[in-house]
Amino acid sequence: MSKKIIAGEESKKIPFRKILLWTILIIVAVIQIFPLIWLLDFSVASSTEMFTTGLLIWPEKFRFDNYVNAFQNGHVGSYLVHSLVINVLAVVCVLLFSVMMAFACSRMHWKLSKAVLGMIMLGMMIPIHATLLPNYVIYDRLHLTDTLFTLLIPYVAFSLPQGLFLTVGFMSSIPKEIEEAAVIDGCGIFRIVFTIITPMLKSSLVTVSIMTFLNNWNEFMMASTYLSSPKWKTLPFSVLEFTGLYSSNYAVQFAVMTLSAAPMIIIYIILNKQITKGVAMGAVKG
Amino acid sequence: MKKKILSLLLAAAMVASLTACGGSADNANSDQTANVPAQEESAPTNSDAAGEPVTLKVFSNLPDRTSGQGLVEQTLFDAYMDENPNVTIEVEALDDEAYKTKFKAYASGSQMPDLVNVWGQPGFLDEVMEAGLLAELNPDDYADYNFLPGSLDGFSKDGRLYGLSRNTDVMCFYYNQKIFEDNGWEVPQTYEELLDLGEKVRAAGLQPVSMFGGDKWSLYIYIHDIEEQLDGSGIMAKTSNAIKNHDFSDPTFKQATELFVEAVDRGLFQNGFESNDGGTAKNLFTNGQAAMYYTGSWEMSMVTDQDIPDEIRENIRVFLMPVPEGGKGDATTITAWHGGGYAVTESAANKEEAIKLLNYMFRPEGWTKIAWENGVCMSAQNFGDFATGSETEVQKQLMQLVADATDLSGTPLGDLGSSEFKTICEDKSQELAAGKISADDYLRALEAVGQ
Amino acid sequence: MHKTYSNKGVIATLVLPGILTFIFAILAPICLSVYYGFTDYSGLGAYQFVGIDNYRELFKDQGFWLSVRNSLFLAIGFICIQHPLAIVTAVILDRLAGKAEGFFRCVYFLPNVISVAVIAYLWKFIYDPNFGLLNNIIKKFGGEGTTNWLGTGTAIWSVLIVLVWHGFGWGMLIYYTGIKNIDPVLYEAAAIDGADNKQTFLRITLPLMKPVIQINVTLAIISALKQMETVYLLTNGGPGNETQFLANFLYKQAFQSFRYGYGNAISVIFVLICICATGLLNMIFRKEKEA
Repeated sequence: MSKKIIAGEESKKIPFRKILLWTILIIVAVIQIFPLIWLLDFSVASSTEMFTTGLLIWPEKFRFDNYVNAFQNGHVGSYLVHSLVINVLAVVCVLLFSVMMAFACSRMHWKLSKAVLGMIMLGMMIPIHATLLPNYVIYDRLHLTDTLFTLLIPYVAFSLPQGLFLTVGFMSSIPKEIEEAAVIDGCGIFRIVFTIITPMLKSSLVTVSIMTFLNNWNEFMMASTYLSSPKWKTLPFSVLEFTGLYSSNYAVQFAVMTLSAAPMIIIYIILNKQITKGVAMGAVKG
Repeated sequence: MKKKILSLLLAAAMVASLTACGGSADNANSDQTANVPAQEESAPTNSDAAGEPVTLKVFSNLPDRTSGQGLVEQTLFDAYMDENPNVTIEVEALDDEAYKTKFKAYASGSQMPDLVNVWGQPGFLDEVMEAGLLAELNPDDYADYNFLPGSLDGFSKDGRLYGLSRNTDVMCFYYNQKIFEDNGWEVPQTYEELLDLGEKVRAAGLQPVSMFGGDKWSLYIYIHDIEEQLDGSGIMAKTSNAIKNHDFSDPTFKQATELFVEAVDRGLFQNGFESNDGGTAKNLFTNGQAAMYYTGSWEMSMVTDQDIPDEIRENIRVFLMPVPEGGKGDATTITAWHGGGYAVTESAANKEEAIKLLNYMFRPEGWTKIAWENGVCMSAQNFGDFATGSETEVQKQLMQLVADATDLSGTPLGDLGSSEFKTICEDKSQELAAGKISADDYLRALEAVGQ
Repeated sequence: MHKTYSNKGVIATLVLPGILTFIFAILAPICLSVYYGFTDYSGLGAYQFVGIDNYRELFKDQGFWLSVRNSLFLAIGFICIQHPLAIVTAVILDRLAGKAEGFFRCVYFLPNVISVAVIAYLWKFIYDPNFGLLNNIIKKFGGEGTTNWLGTGTAIWSVLIVLVWHGFGWGMLIYYTGIKNIDPVLYEAAAIDGADNKQTFLRITLPLMKPVIQINVTLAIISALKQMETVYLLTNGGPGNETQFLANFLYKQAFQSFRYGYGNAISVIFVLICICATGLLNMIFRKEKEA
């Protein structure tokens, strides 16, 4: 409330300043969004129109067939499903493992609890790509390449440290009395973890989910090294494969880029509030 | 603090125990080399059309399966599957650069696909052949396949044949005849004229030569092309020796490198050519933004590509690298080689079937005929046998150039050493093109590889 | 009670899935890297132990030092460009936007949810010297517009801009939350004391945001070190090794030059650098807290 008062006084004093600040906000917004509008614009044009000097164009003819082409030949549909399956599974595993480990390490009594916690936290500093080469040898010998696990395992492993770190933090704010009462009532540990603690962690688990999802969504070096058939290829491959395929048709390339960006943009717009809150919470805790 | 130390100790202990396990990798390697003479078990019979279902895995560098070489390849696969209903062919296809990287990953793993693309050049194939990863082929099978003389050399080691060559690749400048005529420009006869022409084109508001320096190998091929024109013959042997002896002091190398730098300095190539990739370079030319395009005969299918505006593709013609002043080359010395090809892997699950497929593809009426008749490329076999007279202008020109040739340069500079040499040669060529290093620095860097 | 909480079986069930995944996907490969790092393994056939030769070569390798330099450059770029911008925008947004606040936040954050593959290709087109968006904009404003943004000299800046653009929303959001969490009473007090905007910002907002800034700076440095995907698609380290980064460099050595052993040696150093950087930052920030 008090801040509003300050803002109100300001606007009376110097409206010029307010205009300036608004301008800054708008310029930044334009910079952030314009490339995406540009992408959309040229995705419905024809390739040759790319070579005009206009920033945005009104296409001579709207080529929506670019999208039909992109969708059919870019495997956008099936690769999107793969991406979603792998990422959702990774999120579920990370949540499960984090909650279980966090409880064991921060509530239960055993000698190595802090050591284990420390070891996993160390993982936060390790870059995923440092394991690219040796993991290839391991998965190859175990015949795991070109399966779901070849991506799932590293994605879970590299998101676990952060997930655990956040979960331990959130868990420490839950009073012990509640579960202790449950224990006295003869409630087992697993029931405590999954029916009492987990629901109380709900909002923080959202944070962990979002972080994990966004982290792994972008990864494709491992995917491109470990996968060979289209069985499990993920969404980035739509773009990567397509640029080779249609190297002389820019408009269709733009269409496939728009298509692969669209699902996440839609998800983001729908879940805008939760995602914002989740990221913010993670930041404050982290 | 104590916590941290403890966890570090724990981690260290794990390191120690796991390193001990790491030794088992040796065993896996020795296994691979042990099963070489398992070839004669099942004699190939032609009557197993209704035989057991077989799945062949093919790893290809032709991602576009609906036009050009990819279509030819796919057509052959489809025909083979029709004739052999028990066979299913699964194709994994990637772009050249991604292909080469993934191929090396496959090579270091244990599960290679059955039929793979390879380049019959030391920089790609020597290490692979040495490691025994490829199945030996029987040269007698190909006696009447009409392979051009020398086209299988790069695929052989110690007298054994490990692969078949796909194409005859000729480096050339594609140019837009209409733009040339409209502006009164002539095809350059000397290197100096080429540079002058470049300046004229630039003055007319077009990019002179489109070049894909982002795929760095095109840069050293350009240098190699000049070397070929300077010496007129024997450039491959000379380059091989220079790499082996770490000695690039021969004046040809320096002169050619400097001529390339001069072209860069005088703006012969499009803006940003040193980082533009193949797609961008091609599009500049096919959209009339550039007057010329320096690439190889494998792009001859531009002429029939429906995505390219008619008034451009119908006017495409070619000329060769003009000879620099004092050069010993002439119109019959061409920079050409037999690069891409196929091999069957030693560890292939279906080696016999894969070799059958390979032989099927390279019957003279297979790849050679289909590729030529569709104006896609010139095979490494006697493609002239299939001349119909109704070829595109570009095809006719290239066929004539090959027919007249008195000297073929052979494998280009960067592909004549190890793969490490190739990587460094590529990087240094790009730095040279970007003006970061001098011609001398460039040659010294090539000499230093592996020393 | 105590018994329930120290039941070994239960603890093991709770902890093992996580630990095993961790060991299998992180610890074991790193150990394998250490092992291969001491060999001349090409990726094919037999290999020999070569002691620390790989490491000796690495420290003489120009590509390696360029990678390290580029990581530093990115980190400094994030800290000096992205973060000040993000803080200032967050402050303005907090002061002004009101109802439009949600809209702006959404727009700023949007690039963040788009996958790197799309971002990299999109910017490749934006940067194209002959028909790219950026040069077209420059032409509109009367410039020459022929710069090759991914060419020598400018390439590393171009990479930085893409990353700043991509990550801006994230940083902004975090700072914005930090500002929201500052107790309004403090602003009230400042207003009563007659502090102007600048003073309020410098004396109250910034100092109270310090922990948030510290975390963000740490994350920025780590992400600069880990950089891979964007640069792989945008420049693949070129021209030459000008925009090389460690992750890309080790990939290139192993799978382009057939130097698997050397690539693994780079992996090992890569991990060490990341651990040292994080440790160092923690130490600096802790000292500051104590001081």
